[in-house]
Amino acid sequence: MGMRVNPDFYGTVLTGLQQNERQMNQALQQIASGQKLNNISDDPAAAATLVNLRMNADSNNQYLENVTSLTGSLQVADTALNSVVEALTSAQSVGIQGTDITMNAENQQALAQQIKGIQQQVMGLANTAYNGQYLFSGTDTTTQPYVTDSASTAGVSYQGNDKINSVEVSEGQAMPTNLPGTQVFSSQGNDVFQSLQDLYNALESNGDINTAVSEVKNALNYVSTQQTFYGNSLDRLNSVKTFLTQEQTQFTESESSVVSVDMAKAVTDLAQTETTRQALVQAGGKIAQLNLFSYLPSS
Amino acid sequence: MSSLFGTISVALQSLLAQQAATGVVANNVANVNTPGYSREIPVMEESPPVLMGSTLVGTGVTLKTVESVRDNILSLRIQQETSQQSGLESYVNSMNQVQSLFNETQGTGLQTDLSKFFNSFSALATDPTSSSLRQSSLIAGQNLANDFRQTSAQLTTIKQGIDQSVVQTVKQINDLTTQIANLNGQIQQVALTEQNPGPLEDQRDAALQSLAQLVDTAVVYADDGTVTVSTTNGTTLVTGNESNALDTERDTGTGMHEVTANGSNITSSIAGGQLQGLINARDNSIPATQTSLDNLAAALISAVNQQQSTGYDQNGAHGAAFFTPFTPTAAGTNAGAAATMAVALTLPSQLAASSDGTAGDNGNATALANLQNQPIVSGQTAGDYYASMVDDVGNDVSNATAEQQAIGLALKQLSNQQSSISGVSLDEEAANLVLYQRAYEAAARVISVVDELTSVTINMFNAS
Repeated sequence: MGMRVNPDFYGTVLTGLQQNERQMNQALQQIASGQKLNNISDDPAAAATLVNLRMNADSNNQYLENVTSLTGSLQVADTALNSVVEALTSAQSVGIQGTDITMNAENQQALAQQIKGIQQQVMGLANTAYNGQYLFSGTDTTTQPYVTDSASTAGVSYQGNDKINSVEVSEGQAMPTNLPGTQVFSSQGNDVFQSLQDLYNALESNGDINTAVSEVKNALNYVSTQQTFYGNSLDRLNSVKTFLTQEQTQFTESESSVVSVDMAKAVTDLAQTETTRQALVQAGGKIAQLNLFSYLPSS
Repeated sequence: MSSLFGTISVALQSLLAQQAATGVVANNVANVNTPGYSREIPVMEESPPVLMGSTLVGTGVTLKTVESVRDNILSLRIQQETSQQSGLESYVNSMNQVQSLFNETQGTGLQTDLSKFFNSFSALATDPTSSSLRQSSLIAGQNLANDFRQTSAQLTTIKQGIDQSVVQTVKQINDLTTQIANLNGQIQQVALTEQNPGPLEDQRDAALQSLAQLVDTAVVYADDGTVTVSTTNGTTLVTGNESNALDTERDTGTGMHEVTANGSNITSSIAGGQLQGLINARDNSIPATQTSLDNLAAALISAVNQQQSTGYDQNGAHGAAFFTPFTPTAAGTNAGAAATMAVALTLPSQLAASSDGTAGDNGNATALANLQNQPIVSGQTAGDYYASMVDDVGNDVSNATAEQQAIGLALKQLSNQQSSISGVSLDEEAANLVLYQRAYEAAARVISVVDELTSVTINMFNAS
C-alpha cells in the first residue's frame, strides 16, 4: 500500500488562496498609497534612515528660510550704504565748490548749510532699521546707533556696540549678518561724521577747506570698502541658496527612493498574484468533480 | 466438518460485521468536514475456531473494535509549534499598536516636531528680538512636550490593554484545563469498558490544541488513556481528572497582573503561547520603548534648560528653565520624564536668545538650534537616538513576523502530515464501502445457498 496523503486538498487550496490574498492586498496597498513602506516594520532600517533624512531636510528648509530673511536685511543695509556713498560724493563736490576763490563768505555759509543737510541725511541712513532692528548698531539692535551730540567733535555719538551676529546658513556654516556702525562709518583716521563736521566747520569759518574735502574723500573711499562686505555677503547667500535648493531636491529624491513604490513592479506583482489566483480557483473547481463516489452505481 | 446451520451462523456473523463496517464508513463520510475528527477503522477478527472431531473449523468473523487513527507524537509537535506561533502572533498584534505610535513612514511620529523645535531657534537667530519668532519657539516646545506626553500615555494605555488580555487568557487556560481533566475522567471510564474512546479523544485533542495556543504545554500520555499536562517549565496544569488553576495577582508596584500557580509567581517562566507573547510585549518590549522615550525626553529637557541658563532673556537676566526640570525618582532612571514633559516658560521674552545680555545678540539662539547636532543622549544626537528607537520598534515587529511565518510553514507541514494520517479520504471510504458491500452480498449468497441445501435435505423424504 502506498503512502497515504492528506486527503484534504481543499485545505491546501485554501492556504494557497489565503497567501495569495495577502500578497494581492500588499500589492494593492502599495499601489493605492504609492508607498512601499506603510509600517516601520516593513523595513525598520529604511524607517530609521527616513527619520535622519527628514531631520536633515527640515534643517535644510530652515536654512533656506534663514537665507531669505538675511538677504532682506543685507539688501537694505547695502542700499543704505550706497546712499551714504552718494551723499558723501555730493558733499565732496559741495566742498570743492567751497574752495573756489571767487566764493565769498555768504556763499560758503550757504554751502555749509548744504553739508548740514547731508550730515543729517547720512545720520538717517546710519540709523536705518529693518523689521524694527537697527542695522548698524552692532548687536544692540534695539538702540538707535547715532544721535546728535554737540559735545562730540563729530557732532554725533555712537550708542550701539561693536559686536556682530552670525547666523547658520548651512550645516556648520555661519555667516556674519551685520557690521557695527563704529566699523562701517569710522576707522583710524577715517570718520564719516567727523569729516562732514570738519567740512561744515571749514566752510562756515572759512577754514582749511581743502584738507576737509580730502578728509571726506577718504571717508567716502572707506565706506565704499565697507559696502563690499554686504555685496560679498549677498553674493555668498546667493550661492548658498543655490546649494541649499540642490540639497532640497536631493533630499526629496532620497526620501522618495526610500519610501516610494516602484509602480511598474507593484503592478506586475499584482498581475502575478492574479494569475496564481485564477490557477488556484480552477484547480479547486476541478478537485470537486473527482471523487470515487461519483463512479459507484446508483442503483 | 461444519453443519449447515453452523454455516448459516457464520454467514450471519459476517453480515453483521460487514454491516457494522459499513456503519463506520458512513460515520467517516459524515465527519469528512468535522475539524479535529480522526478517521475510524473497523478492526475485524476471526472468531475463535471450534474443534470438530479432529479438525479445527473456523467460526467466521467478529467486529472486535472500532479504532480511531491518530499519531499522538505528531499532535505533541503540532501543539509545541502552535504555542510558538500564537505567542509570536499575540506579540506582533500588541507591538503593532506600539509601532503605529512611531510610524515615521506615514509621518506620524516625533520627528516633525523635533525638527520644528530646533529649527524655531535657528529662525530666532535671524531676528532674535522678534516676539513672534520667540512665540513660535515656545509653541514648538509645547508641541514637542505634548508629543512626548501623549506617546508616553498611549504606551501606558496599550500596556494596560495587554494586561487585561493576560487576565482573560489565564481564565481561558483554566476553562480548558478543567475541560481536559473532565475528558480524562470520561476516557478512563470508557477505556475500562474496552470501547473506542476515539470521539472523546478527538475532543480532548481539540482542547489540548486550544490550550497550546494560550500557553506552552508539555503533554504526557498515560497507559490508562489520560494525559498529564504541565507548562514546559514544570507547572502542573492537569493530572488525571484534576486540574490545577492558574491565578493572576496585581502587582501594586507596576500595576500589572502577575501569573501565579499555587501562590508562586510564574510570569517570567511562561515560555510560549498567547500568554507569553502578551507578557513579552507588556514586560519587555513596551517598557524598553518607554525607557528610550524617557531618556530622550530627559536629555532634551536637561540640554535645553542648561543652554537656556547660559544665555540671557530680554530682561537681561539669565534664562530660566525652558522645560519644567525633571528630577528622577531614583538614580539611573528617567522614568516619568516623557509623561511629565512640559514647557515652563510663559512669556516669549523669557527666551534666552542672547549670549551676552545685549537684546539683539543671537548667540544663544544659535547655540540652542545647534543642540540638534550635539550628542545629548547616550552619545547620540536627539535625531539619531530617535531614529534608532524607530529601528528597534520596527525590528521587534518584523523579526517576530518573520519567525511567525517560518513557524507557520512548519506548522502547515505538520498538520498536513496529521491530516494524511487522520483525515477522512472519500475515495478510500468509497473503496471500503464497495469492499464491505461485496462481502455482505457474498455472505447473503452463502445463506441463500445453505437455504437451498437445507430445502433439498428436508424434501429428500418427501417423494410426492
